[in-house]
Amino acid sequence: MDLLFDHTLRNAALGAALLGVVSGVIGSFALLRRQSLIGDTLSHATLPGICLGFLIAGGRALGPILLGAVVFGVLAGLAVLALVRATRLKTDAALGIALSLFFALGVVLLTYVQGQAGAAQAGLESFLFGQAAAVLTSDLAVLAPIAAVTLGLTALFWKEFKLASFDPVFARTIGLPVTALETLMTLMVAIAVVIGLQMVGVVLMAAMIIAPAAAARQWSRTLEQMVVLAALIGLASGVIGALLSSTGQGFSTGPLIVLVATGITVVSILVAPGRGVLWQVMQRHHERQQIDAEEVLATFRHLIYEHGDPTYPVERGMLNTYHGRGVSRVIEDLTAQGLIAQASHMDSEGDHWVLTPKGLERSGVADA
Amino acid sequence: MGSPLLHEPDLALHVEDLTVSYNGRPALWDIDIDIPPAVMCAIVGPNGAGKSTLLKSILQLTPPTAGHVTLLGRPYHEMRKRIAYVPQRSSVDWDFPTTALDVVMMGRYGHLGWFRRPGSEVREMAQAALGEVGIADLASRQISQLSGGQQQRVFLARALVQDADIYFLDEPMAGVDATTERVIVGLLHRLRGRGKTIVVVHHDLATVRDYYDWLVLMNVRVVAQGPVEKTMTTEALRAAYGGQIALIEGSVLHAAQ
Amino acid sequence: MLTDPDIAILLTGILVGCASALLGPFLILRQNAMLSDAISHAIVFGIMLTWLLTGLVSGPVQILGAGLSGVLCVWLIEALTRTGRIKEDAAIGLVFPALFAAGVLMLNVFARNVHIDVHTVLLGEIGFVWLDTVAVAGIEMPNAVLWMGAVFLVNLVFVMLFWKELKLGTFDPTLAAAFGLHPRLLFYGLLLLTSITAVAAFDAVGAILFIAFIIVPPATAYLLTDRLAWMVGLGMLTSVASVFAGYALAVAWDVSISGMMALMTGAFLMAAITFGPRYGLVPRAWRYRADRERNDVRALMVHLHTHESGSDRAEENVSDALITHLNWPEIRAKTVMRRAVNSGLVLHDGGVLELTDQGRDMARTLLEPWRR
Repeated sequence: MDLLFDHTLRNAALGAALLGVVSGVIGSFALLRRQSLIGDTLSHATLPGICLGFLIAGGRALGPILLGAVVFGVLAGLAVLALVRATRLKTDAALGIALSLFFALGVVLLTYVQGQAGAAQAGLESFLFGQAAAVLTSDLAVLAPIAAVTLGLTALFWKEFKLASFDPVFARTIGLPVTALETLMTLMVAIAVVIGLQMVGVVLMAAMIIAPAAAARQWSRTLEQMVVLAALIGLASGVIGALLSSTGQGFSTGPLIVLVATGITVVSILVAPGRGVLWQVMQRHHERQQIDAEEVLATFRHLIYEHGDPTYPVERGMLNTYHGRGVSRVIEDLTAQGLIAQASHMDSEGDHWVLTPKGLERSGVADA
Repeated sequence: MGSPLLHEPDLALHVEDLTVSYNGRPALWDIDIDIPPAVMCAIVGPNGAGKSTLLKSILQLTPPTAGHVTLLGRPYHEMRKRIAYVPQRSSVDWDFPTTALDVVMMGRYGHLGWFRRPGSEVREMAQAALGEVGIADLASRQISQLSGGQQQRVFLARALVQDADIYFLDEPMAGVDATTERVIVGLLHRLRGRGKTIVVVHHDLATVRDYYDWLVLMNVRVVAQGPVEKTMTTEALRAAYGGQIALIEGSVLHAAQ
Repeated sequence: MLTDPDIAILLTGILVGCASALLGPFLILRQNAMLSDAISHAIVFGIMLTWLLTGLVSGPVQILGAGLSGVLCVWLIEALTRTGRIKEDAAIGLVFPALFAAGVLMLNVFARNVHIDVHTVLLGEIGFVWLDTVAVAGIEMPNAVLWMGAVFLVNLVFVMLFWKELKLGTFDPTLAAAFGLHPRLLFYGLLLLTSITAVAAFDAVGAILFIAFIIVPPATAYLLTDRLAWMVGLGMLTSVASVFAGYALAVAWDVSISGMMALMTGAFLMAAITFGPRYGLVPRAWRYRADRERNDVRALMVHLHTHESGSDRAEENVSDALITHLNWPEIRAKTVMRRAVNSGLVLHDGGVLELTDQGRDMARTLLEPWRR
């Protein structure tokens, strides 16, 4: 209970929760539109905005800093768009160019800020890797309304966002302003990035746009489920990461939040029912076993017809020869299912099996 | 609103002197097309003939260099709610998390307008449309788990709920199974019976005679157009397919005689 | 002489730029530019791990050990993508932040007293490379110059040795595979060298500014030339120019040297985007105008030809039809008509437009190029 009354910790957890929810929701659309890496570019590109906001406000005032960050995030997004449209450079190069050049500008401005006599630089460093402990109650008062507006817009434009993400060409034919909607979605990525800056930092925000959405995708059948789940996973990663970072000495918050989110994603990709990789491996293994069993039963049937004897005993070696490989495991399975049973034919010639009445029925011999 | 003066209102589709450039190079030259209402029309031509570009330009997805298009006498943007479009199946990511029914319901988004959520009547329409294309039982199936033919039927059902007068389809029969092809053709014939106009970009010359009653043969420009029996001549095919004439099967040419 | 601060800084910058410009073109042409972003972040993990295991912060073991983490990163991205459950861009954005985060946590826990700190990771310390020197064959030289020079030579040898394989593997991997050139192996070699270069450049320019060095100069060159060899050469030239300009400005304004060098690559990119003779915006806008006018004239020729022998000739082949049928604004219609008449393609008689033989020829060639 003491934890709840620790203001620093409460603020950190609340801030991380906000960040998780917003980036999960916005990231879902970015992921489905194959725009995952735009988050990476936008977050790196906020650095000059942070420095300028700091310079203009003359200190670590969150409002101007976030505003500067959003402006530069959006500028970077436009730069990517302009590079792809106006030059022969492809999206990947455009993303890398905008990311590195905006970041370079940020580095230059950062050193300029630090060179200014008397400017407190401590505040700015926390934006690089995130320091949840630096979140103040007054910061939350800025972040919460931004988050609420973002989520509200998503709810309002739900069906338009969905259609523009799934089938932009069709959306255009029914008269939706797809370009405007896409721009709005990119703007919202910039906002999500900015909400996370204090907690996760510019370098790692990319992961928060992608990881919760990618994890949620594995468990969901509809966009509604995916977005809600992504918000919950984002929230859980944020809160767990923030709490973990408060336990150790000097842990950066961002890396912890990101590692929690990545961990959830990896587990999801492995085990999610239906889509999970392990799930599918098991499924395939099961199918393989069934096919093997059917094949061996077919061999029994064939031999029974050939010899005109429904109790014809089949020898293990004969089965192996027939199938070109060892089938002992299949024999065990079939025995366990009660479809075949061991028959004592001639002890000296090794093991023999016959179809049980159930096996006769299953293999279709009974019908013939 | 709407234009006070209707331009060629008796034609379902009227394309006049349409030239479209793609990446700075014209892809369509001075296209004139007139399609009367209540026909099922195939747009046929070799690869690179500009068939899809023509469709995109009619739907105002690609701006023209010259010329204009009217549908039942009006420009496209006034006619959106009376037109349905079935894009190529490969144009979307079928791994999107949504169900067949949900995709079909998207066909009503244009009629719903901003901010309104689809209600139960839209859901019922969508369910009925899925029934009409023969996959009512797949309504709650995730679209990633549908076969190619089923995906195409979902797209067709989405066009059905658009409840349009003119239907544009971009290669709906490409890469689908024989059953789906029969279902699609049957459905399009029923729509024509109800007085709808169907315009299909079609890739298979061999089936044109069986499926369609109107034909536009093109290669960068219109080579021939009109009722299929009169239009599908060896001469016209030769003119459309030009250097690729050897690629056309003899049987098709024979059928054209 | 090599320990002179100015020379040491410039030389290090030039070596970083040239070593990167050797590799960048292949990444850009393969549309894998963002892999360099992934690699440059992921090496932070490798650098920390190698340091924890060996206690080394520089030298060949460190460079190779940390370089392998970049390859690990790419391998993980490919493995994730292969599951089919996640697209490649999302896989990139999932893997490298995780590795980077792990690296930063190791930094938090173990490395408080080592000179690798948050600052180095992001900004590099190119301003101090001249302090850390070593004697090779009796010549005092900065460690950074020694190792960056070695990496540059390795890259140079690799690119020269496998030039035609890299070229074919970049433009047509399938054909390269059919020739038995192992394009995948070569690609991984390229990525290993990218990682190694990133590690060697790490102390000087940090993890993230390295991305500017490996992407922006080759991208600048890509906008100026269509030839691979020129692309490599122009990329190096851009790098060297950026290093000099960046250093001068950084000293003048007292800001980050590596940051300013990286930023200057952007200035050259802007110049190439705007004025590049073939792909630049200004020359292209000029040509686009000419193209548009030419296409308009062509469209008119085809239009007149189509309706020349039809019954609608009186309605279509008149000057008014340009406005009513072709839907052109009046000014555009008049310009097109004037150009057509002046070029001797059309006779303008009263309101009627008549194709000349030359104009008819043009329309036919456009419509049926195979008859030419």
